Amino acid sequence: MLTRRMIAAAVFAFAIASPALAQDKPSEKIKTVATFSILGDLVKNVGGDRVEVTTLVGPNGDAHVYSPTPADVQSISHARLVFVNGLGLEGWMTRLVSAAGGKAATVTASTGVKTLRMEDENKPGHMITDPHAWQSVANAKTYVANIRDGLIKADPAGKDVYQANAKSYLAQLDELEAEVKSAIAKIPAERRRIITTHDAFGYFGAAYGMAFISPEGVSTETEASAKDVAKIIDQIRNQKIPAVFMENISDPRLMQQIARETGAKIGGTLYSDALSKADGPAATYIDMMHNNIRQFGAALVG
Amino acid sequence: MHALLIAPFADYEFMRRALAGIFALAIGAAPIGVFLMLRRMSLIGDAMAHAILPGAAVGFLFAGLSLFALAGGGLIAGFVIALGAGVLARLTQIKEDASLAAFFLISLALGVTIVSLRGSNVDLLHFLFGSVLAVDDPTLILIVSIASLSLIVLALIWRPLVLECVDPGFLRSVSGAGGPAHIVFLALVVMNLVGGFLALGTLLAVGLMMLPAVTARFWARDISSMIGIACVCAAGSGYAGLLASYHANLPSGPAVILVAGILYAVSVIVGPVGGLIWLRSPRRHLEA
Amino acid sequence: MTAQLRFHDLTLGYDRHPAVHHLNGVVEAGALLAVVGPNGAGKSTLFKGIVGAIKPFAGQIELGGLGVHDIAYLPQVAEIDRTFPISVYDMVSMGLWRRTGLFGGLGIGRRDDIEHALAEVGLTGFEQRPIGTLSGGQMQRMLFARLLLQDARVIVLDEPFNAIDVSTVAALLDLVRRWHGEQRTVVAALHDIDLVKANFPQTLLLAREPVAWGDTAQVLSAANLNRARQMCEAFDETAEACAAEVA
Repeated sequence: MLTRRMIAAAVFAFAIASPALAQDKPSEKIKTVATFSILGDLVKNVGGDRVEVTTLVGPNGDAHVYSPTPADVQSISHARLVFVNGLGLEGWMTRLVSAAGGKAATVTASTGVKTLRMEDENKPGHMITDPHAWQSVANAKTYVANIRDGLIKADPAGKDVYQANAKSYLAQLDELEAEVKSAIAKIPAERRRIITTHDAFGYFGAAYGMAFISPEGVSTETEASAKDVAKIIDQIRNQKIPAVFMENISDPRLMQQIARETGAKIGGTLYSDALSKADGPAATYIDMMHNNIRQFGAALVG
Repeated sequence: MHALLIAPFADYEFMRRALAGIFALAIGAAPIGVFLMLRRMSLIGDAMAHAILPGAAVGFLFAGLSLFALAGGGLIAGFVIALGAGVLARLTQIKEDASLAAFFLISLALGVTIVSLRGSNVDLLHFLFGSVLAVDDPTLILIVSIASLSLIVLALIWRPLVLECVDPGFLRSVSGAGGPAHIVFLALVVMNLVGGFLALGTLLAVGLMMLPAVTARFWARDISSMIGIACVCAAGSGYAGLLASYHANLPSGPAVILVAGILYAVSVIVGPVGGLIWLRSPRRHLEA
Repeated sequence: MTAQLRFHDLTLGYDRHPAVHHLNGVVEAGALLAVVGPNGAGKSTLFKGIVGAIKPFAGQIELGGLGVHDIAYLPQVAEIDRTFPISVYDMVSMGLWRRTGLFGGLGIGRRDDIEHALAEVGLTGFEQRPIGTLSGGQMQRMLFARLLLQDARVIVLDEPFNAIDVSTVAALLDLVRRWHGEQRTVVAALHDIDLVKANFPQTLLLAREPVAWGDTAQVLSAANLNRARQMCEAFDETAEACAAEVA
């Protein structure tokens, strides 16, 4: 009795479900690949529902030292468009694209951006192009424009959608730029200087008038010597730096000691090269900028 | 001269604090180290340091890098193990070292299990090495208190402690104080190790306790002088180590221990009591 | 004569095997008693029982109102760490423990006592010597000086003259006689039958079970000594539970 009922129920369930199973696959989204999370966020905002974005270097990852995986090769070979930052950020990218084959076109998001120079961290004293252009909102707008144009070229059918998305996102970025400028304005001019190990804020500093100074001595990995600590204390005192953002330094108690002796404030976590996880404070580009100016404000105002 | 020896301390508060912390540690731990060495318990210090670590790790898991949590956790773990091992050694046939080995190994495994269940944390690794340069007020007060308490208690249990080392049978025959004195002594070891690891990290805290003690062996023939020399050695190593860290850019904790090690090496060779140089070419003997 | 030590059906041993089996008897206050017997006869075991180092399997020891810590005890093999950096003076001063306790100072009066004790055993001038530099005889004399300072009513010596030179033995025997003169109870385990016959009025001949106890001359007869020699030295692994105990 029970068995017959169960069979009947199963057949009934299948009958209901079959239309769904018989359906065609949903309409094709444009498959794209973005090299890292910040870029991926921008592409999503411009492409909207018409695109499917795969990000290679995920949240909290480091694009400078990324090692591509076979899965990445797969993604690229299936993609129509690959978005890269350019400016030397993805040294591993050219090999990857040629290895992947496929028919993807590459869009360099930073085309047309006015570049700055920075010191090569592997070769002190040697200057290279600073790739972190997105830290200036004006540059981000250029990125958005390039992304939009690249999408239109690959998928002319979606031209109207892309233009509309880009227009509304650019308006958001205008708002963001105003917020950043006003946040910095709230900080007294002589206090717009911080020490941080992040080397990615060159464009931000140039665009909005803040000095980002790299620490002398104390590093993140090794145990500090007394000389290291003395050097950074001297630096803070001599250059009158009000805040130190070194959240990944080896011993947080050491940071507190330095802060105590110099009167400098210890800053919170900054995001510069990658977004945070979805539940973190910098899950999108706009959130990231908000987070950073919030941290600057907290440490430097008053 | 002044720039070499005094200026670093005069110019920087963190140097002065580090020096104060190390001096306090030296005075508290060196006498304990002498007794450990004389009782053939030199490696017990290392074992106790391993026993304390899981306690501190658990404290860290509950409250982060709070002094209270770390020191409290370490003290509790250390006391429980020292007491457990000591009591068991008195009651059963098992000798102290075996009892302690059993306890600290269990404690270590337990600590590792607890920490890995909750997920590891990079910060935890960093207090393995500690930082004498990061000693803040509460830590300094704790270290100084531990040193003072340690000295007072040591003075109190001096006689039974000495007798326990030299003639435990006699002590047993005249007094029941041997057992308690021994347990109190183990408690002092734990306390000083906890103080040590707050400044130097667990791996190096034992160094400041044992190296000066072993060095003093080559300079003194009776226990009081031995303790005095050990304290001077330990304090001196702290001073010179900090200077080396400052002038030669060496990591601070290891620099202190390296200086202590150099003092030891030198003493092995030229120390008046059993130094190698005197064994090879002894002085002329006396008339009578 | 009052009883100082009283043994009631005393059995002591290791691992359930008795080393002293059903000992009964009394040691009078002020007695000078030698305990004699072959190896493994239970002499050391009996002494350890008297000073409370081991607990009896059965029976009791009464100490005539004294506490276990009031008895001065010289073990056969001293667990002394000769490498410990302590001087003869400091070592001997530990004998004053019962009087100074944990914290008591060693004042002028005490210092005189210590010097005096060292003089009694002929170790004047040895005060600052590390104990590791003493010869066997000197070490034993130092330990006797410590015993002196303990000023105990009961003194238990386990083979005190083993491997000691003749002049030291003579000096220490003087001390023992002195103690006897002061009405202290002295019990000593000894191997040298002639020495016992010459110096000790009372003897207990022990071969796990008491063979004879009383005046030395009678106890140390040839017959008794023979009986004692027949005691089996090894523990019997196949022995049954003791019938007397069940009863």
